[in-house]
This record gives sequence, C-alpha cells and structure tokens, in this order.
Amino acid sequence: MAENTEANRDAKHGMALGLTLWAIIVISVAFFFKYDVPELASDRGSQDTIYYVILGITGVAYILVQGVLGFYVWKYRHRDDEEGSYWHESHKMELLWTIGTTVVLVPIVAWGLVLWEDVKAAPPTDVLTIEAVGAQFQWDMRYPGPDGTFGAWRPELYTLENYMGLDPDDAAGADDIMMTNQMVLPVDTPVRILLRSRDLQHAFFLPNFRVKQDLMPGIETSVWFTPTKIGEYEIACAELCGLGHYRMRAFLSVRSQADYETWLSEQSAAN
Amino acid sequence: MSDGHDDHGHGKQSFISKYVFSFDHKMIGKQYLSLVMFMAVIGGALAMLVRLQLGYPGMHSEFWAKLFPTGMASGVMTPEFYVMLFTMHGTIMVFFVLSLGPVSGFGNYLIPLQIGARDMAFPFLNMMSFWTALPGAIIILISFLVEGGAAASGWTAYPPLSAIRSAIPGSALGQTLWLVGMIFFVASFTMGGLNFVVTIINMRAKGLTMMRLPLTTWAQFIVGILGLLSFPALAAGAILLTFDRSMGTSFFLPHGMFIGDTLLPNSGGSPLLWQHLFWFLGHPEVYIIMLPALGFTSDILSTFTRRPIFGYRSMVYAMCAIGFLSFIVWGHHMFISGMSPFLGTMFTMTTLCIAVPSAVKTFNWLATLWKAKIRFTTPMLFALGIVSLFVTGGLTGIFLGTNAVDIQLHDTYFVVAHFHFIMAGAGLFGMFAAIYYWYPKMFGRHMNESLAKIHFWFTFTTYYGVFFPMHYLGIAGMMRRIYDPNTYDYLKPLQPVNTFITICAFILGASQIIILVNYFWSMFMGKKVESENPWEANTLEWSLPIEPGHGNWPGEIPEVHRWPYDYQHPDAEGDFIPQWVPPKKAVTK
Repeated sequence: MAENTEANRDAKHGMALGLTLWAIIVISVAFFFKYDVPELASDRGSQDTIYYVILGITGVAYILVQGVLGFYVWKYRHRDDEEGSYWHESHKMELLWTIGTTVVLVPIVAWGLVLWEDVKAAPPTDVLTIEAVGAQFQWDMRYPGPDGTFGAWRPELYTLENYMGLDPDDAAGADDIMMTNQMVLPVDTPVRILLRSRDLQHAFFLPNFRVKQDLMPGIETSVWFTPTKIGEYEIACAELCGLGHYRMRAFLSVRSQADYETWLSEQSAAN
Repeated sequence: MSDGHDDHGHGKQSFISKYVFSFDHKMIGKQYLSLVMFMAVIGGALAMLVRLQLGYPGMHSEFWAKLFPTGMASGVMTPEFYVMLFTMHGTIMVFFVLSLGPVSGFGNYLIPLQIGARDMAFPFLNMMSFWTALPGAIIILISFLVEGGAAASGWTAYPPLSAIRSAIPGSALGQTLWLVGMIFFVASFTMGGLNFVVTIINMRAKGLTMMRLPLTTWAQFIVGILGLLSFPALAAGAILLTFDRSMGTSFFLPHGMFIGDTLLPNSGGSPLLWQHLFWFLGHPEVYIIMLPALGFTSDILSTFTRRPIFGYRSMVYAMCAIGFLSFIVWGHHMFISGMSPFLGTMFTMTTLCIAVPSAVKTFNWLATLWKAKIRFTTPMLFALGIVSLFVTGGLTGIFLGTNAVDIQLHDTYFVVAHFHFIMAGAGLFGMFAAIYYWYPKMFGRHMNESLAKIHFWFTFTTYYGVFFPMHYLGIAGMMRRIYDPNTYDYLKPLQPVNTFITICAFILGASQIIILVNYFWSMFMGKKVESENPWEANTLEWSLPIEPGHGNWPGEIPEVHRWPYDYQHPDAEGDFIPQWVPPKKAVTK
C-alpha cells in the first residue's frame, strides 16, 4: 500500500537520525580531548578545576540525553501495528527531574560562588601594583618606580604626549615607569593590575592566567592574581573597541624575581 | 465575540485590502513571514562573509573588490567592514528574523486559529504592527548605503563605541539609523504583544480553558507578556542613546574620554547603565525567540509521536517559570563588566535556576517519545532537531552561568557556540518546523517532501558542524568579534578549525536555498491538500476549511470539549480525538 511504503521510507529517516545523533555524540566528545584551555600560568587553577568538573557532569548529561533521544527515534520509528500508550502524567516523574536537576546543580553553584568570592577578595597588603591603561588600540603600562607610589593623574591633562594624564606637579610621578604593549611581572608574587580606559570600553584578557576584566570609562576596575610560571605570554582585548580591536595585543613576560629586579632597575635608569 | 466580520471570507476584497493593508491575521502572519525570509537571506549572506574572513583571513579577490568597492576596496576585507558585518548579522537575525518569524509571523497566524477566534482582538493595531516593522526593516537596510556604512558596534551597541561618531565609521549615520530602526521595531513588537495577550485572555472559544490551550499558544501568551515588559527598556535606552549622540547629553558617557587628541566634554554618565537597560530587554528577548519554538516542538512532537505530550501542566509551569526568571538574570551578561561582585553572585544563582525548568521540558519531551509511534515527517525531524540543539545549548549555559567559569569563557567563541545552539538554533529550527507543519493550512498545498527532507539533513548536520567546534575555539581562548585571530600566536593553531567551520557554514547557507525554492514553488505547484487535517492533529486550526477566508470558520466557531493531546486515547476509535469532538463521539481513522 502506498501509505505503508511512505511510512517505511519515513522510518528510515528515524534510523538515520538515531545514528546521526550517536555519531555527533562520539565526534563532539572526542575533540574535547584535543582542545583544551591554554596552559595555566597563574594561581587560578581552581577555575580550571571547576571547569573540568562541570565539563564532566554536563558531558555525562549530554551523552545520556542525546543518546536516549537517538535511541528513542531509532526504536520507536513508525510502528502502527504495535500498542501505543496514553500515559502522560506522573507527579513522581516531574518531581524526579525537578529535584534531580536541582541536586546536581546546587553543589556546582555553591562551589562556583565560593571561587568567585576568592577571585574578588581583597589582595594581600604586600601586593605589587601596576597600572594598565587601554586605548584604541594599545595597552599602556605604568609601574610606580623606586618610590613605590604612583603619581596623580587627571583626565584634563591627557595630551598626545602626556597620554597617561600625569600631573607634573606631583613628585611621586617623576619616577613612574611607562611602556606600551609590554608588561613584565615577577613570578610567585601577587600582582594587582589597576585598569582604566582612556577612551572606550576594552577588556583586559590574560588567556593563560584565567584573568579577564572589562575596562569601563569613568570607572576604575582592577584584578589581582599570582603568576606561577616563568615565560612569555600574550595580553588580548576581549571587548569590541573599534576597527582595530583585533590587534589590541600586548606582551606579558613573567620572570624570576632576580631577573625582574634587574629589568626594573634598567628601566628606572633609562627613565 | 468578534462576529463583526460576517462579510469576510466571501466578500470581494480589492488587491490592496487583501494583500497589502490587510486586517486578516492570517495574511498579516504571511506578510511577516515574507519579510522574515527576505531579511534572513540578507542576515545569512552577512554571516557567510564573516565566515569567509575567519576561514580564509586576508584572502585577496578582485571579484570582491568589484562587489564591495568600499568594504573590500583592495580585494581584501577591511576590519571596519568585518565589524559591520557581524553587527548587522546579529541585529537582523535576532530582531528581524528570529523575533519576527516565530512570534509576529506564526503568532499572528496561529493564535486566533488555535483559540477559535475570528481574528486578533485589535485587527487594525495588528496591521499597524506590520506596517511599523516594515519601515524599521527598510531603515536598517538603508543604513548599509550611508557614508561610513551600517552600525558597527555589535548587536549590543555598547556605548561609548556606539555613541561617539569618530569611534568607528559605523558610528556615524549608520548607528543613528540603527537606533531609529530599533525604535520602529520596538513599537511594532509591543503592538503585537498587546494584541497577543488581550486576544488569548478574552477571545478563546467556548470550552477552551487556559489549561486546554495548545502549548504553542501558551508560549505565545508568555512571549506577549515578556515583550510588553521588556522591549520598552530597549526603546528607552535607544532614545537616551540618540540624545547622547545627537544632542550632547551624557546618559551613557562619563568624564575622561580622550579621543583623537581631545578630551570629550561629557560627564556624569555610565556605559554600565546602557548594559543594564540593554540586557534587561536582551535576556527576555532570548526567551521571546525560544519559547515559541519550544511550543511548536511540544505540539509537533505530540502529533507525530501519536502520544499525548507528557506532563502538560509541568510544561506550562516550566514556561511560566522560564518567563519569570528571564527578568532577573540579565546581569550574567555583565559578570566581568565592573558591576558589583555581589550582583554577580546573585545573578549566578538566578541564572542556574533556569536550568531546572529547562531540564523538566527536556525530560518531558523524552517521556513523550517513549513508546511513541513516530512518523518522521519533516516538521517532526526539525522538532527532534530542536530537542537536540536545546540540550546542547542548555548544558553549555551551565558553564557560562557559573561566574567563576565565565571569567575565562566570557566574550569567547564558547559564548557564540552557546547562543547559536540555544537561541538561534531553537528559533531557526522552530521556524523551519512551523513552516513545514502549518504550510498545508497556510497555502492549501503541500511542500515537496523530498526536498524538505534533503533540507533537514543538510541543515541539521552542518549546523552541528558549524557551531559545535566553536566550543573548542572558545575553550582555547579565541575571542569573539576579532577580525583576524592569527594576530595572536596562541590562536594560530586554531586556523584549521576555523576553516572547517567556514566550509560547513557555506554548505549550511547554500542548503537554505532548498527551503526558499520549495516554499515559493509549492505555493503554486505543490500537491493540493485533500483533507483539512492532513497530519491527523487535534488542535482547532485543523478544523478549518482548506482555504479559510477572513473570519476563519464559515459557520459557527466550534466548541472545545477537551485538551489538544488526545492521541492513543482509550475511547478513540482511531488513534486521536480532536479538541472539537464532543465526548463519547470519537472519530474513526
């Protein structure tokens, strides 16, 4: 009968969809073993840990739910001769998936919030403070210099030469060290980066350090972390800031304490 | 209730009053769908160009130089052109395709038919709503032609980038037109939302209680409320931003912006205010796009599994919960913006609450499939596709909602992957499913089933091919909205992934030609519909004659005797009992 052949043809799509869903599960999960977060170079490893835990939990949920979906479309493809079911209401089942999902989620949320508190907590008092100023399309860094104090700045003082807006009357600013698109940090020392924007919104993104913070004009923001691995890294802008957003890139060099101090005194001498 | 349309259906109407300034909700729905298809072609073409650049960065082509004499003047795409491309892709797709299609298009078409009304509560307002959306769309399209090009500050239009004319070429006249177009859009959408809510509350047929509504109409009801409450925030923001741009105010502009070589005179405003206003709309907007698709999925799943939808009440409650929660989660777009960390804590908790009703919906769909007798029609294939995309996109939301994890993933391709599954995917597949499902009712003809199935297979597989690998890109740290990822050393190894995505995207884009051809060809050449209820479905629209006139039912509006999911009912002589069949009088198959 015509209708039967049409039904049979349709049923093949059920089989194909089931197999496709399973194939998608296998392929998509496999590549998670190939692509990983960038190599960690800071003390924020706990952010990676919770990422992997969520990846594991959602991965299991993904495989189970897509797998069952694939299984059902394969198993229950058109079968007019078999008995159907009118069963459509079960408080027990609804409670099961409501409570089940909640039970899985609550620990994730709680743990995530504890980590969030850690990240947002006040830095230790001996923290090394550096300023990073974002502008279309560069990063200007400022170190406080030998006196350990930043000179005052005001937006009214911005010019193309005085791009940091430093107050020439403030003696503390005389020894400030400035450089563009380059930052050097000592390893294993907590650092705090003060972030301000000279024009639009930007975002200070250190992929290897699990650090990202927007620069919001009119507001001064900051992040703090501890570099844990000596090496050369990249700083990226992660918030659209204009046509050159993609090339608003800077370099971060993490060095041993001794190398860092040598570098710092060289900079002060050159200043 | 609104029986003032007695003359419709057989009265003679002029071409203008039938096809142009129509009051008939069915025609208005179709007008919306035509507009949506046109805008989707433009929005899709923009995406193809975005992918061209990412797949083959810096590719030189004389052909492109001729086609886009400014954007690709030297044969290579310029960064400002690239930024404009993804800005307008997002704008057009989110507002003029995924909102206008499932909501304004299918909402208008289906609500009166599913609730047994002769038309929407305010037919004139309904017509106005379309004739306000159309100028909005035209203004957006014209903005491509003005000096500096169309807006280029992302679909989120964050100031100061969007507020300061010299910040990027698109922030000249293009951004002004974007804001004007958006105000038109909001006006249209709120008119529609008002109509939806009033119609569904007041004009249901006799016997059709709220808890007997099809889930499609429930979704549209919630969407109407969401739109009414959230879109005005965007309108307010857009008007304030227009003031900042044109009249020297400083709602969003703080002191201390040094651009070119001058300090701007603004002071006192905050760019964060825009983000709050924008996302107060923006997050409900995600559900405005998604909920209709979830409604279609429930109805289509039930029809073609020949099973009642599992857990109808909990489906309704889940949609209400999602709708409510959508208003208190907007801050999860702003975890790293500099907003108070305490708010970050609050928004993580509310955001992850959404996972619970979403999981309930998913499991109910799976339970509906259990022991089903599935008919693999094309709408069913797309509905199953939505379930799969919804699961994938929903699970990745847990990463992004957890603020500690979002720090690393924020503004990376992981986010792009996530929302293309959950929001864009559901919306797009929802529209496809709805077109294939209701086409016989809309045009009295069937679409070509073989072409439709080919369209599904290409779309579903390449959709995963395009958007799943974007998770890997995001995990590896690739930012959104960058013109050339190869600027960064650590992103260079990802180029093969980007090239693969681009190839899949081109196939995905090309395969949409199939549905466009099928849609318009079948309107004239498709097989004629022989039964008014070709899918053997239960909802009221299938009781209409094959070619319903204005006023919908030629005689009395049918009385409703039951909920819409009586498939495999023990009393049924066949395997289904439509809503309009009185008790004890089941239809035979």
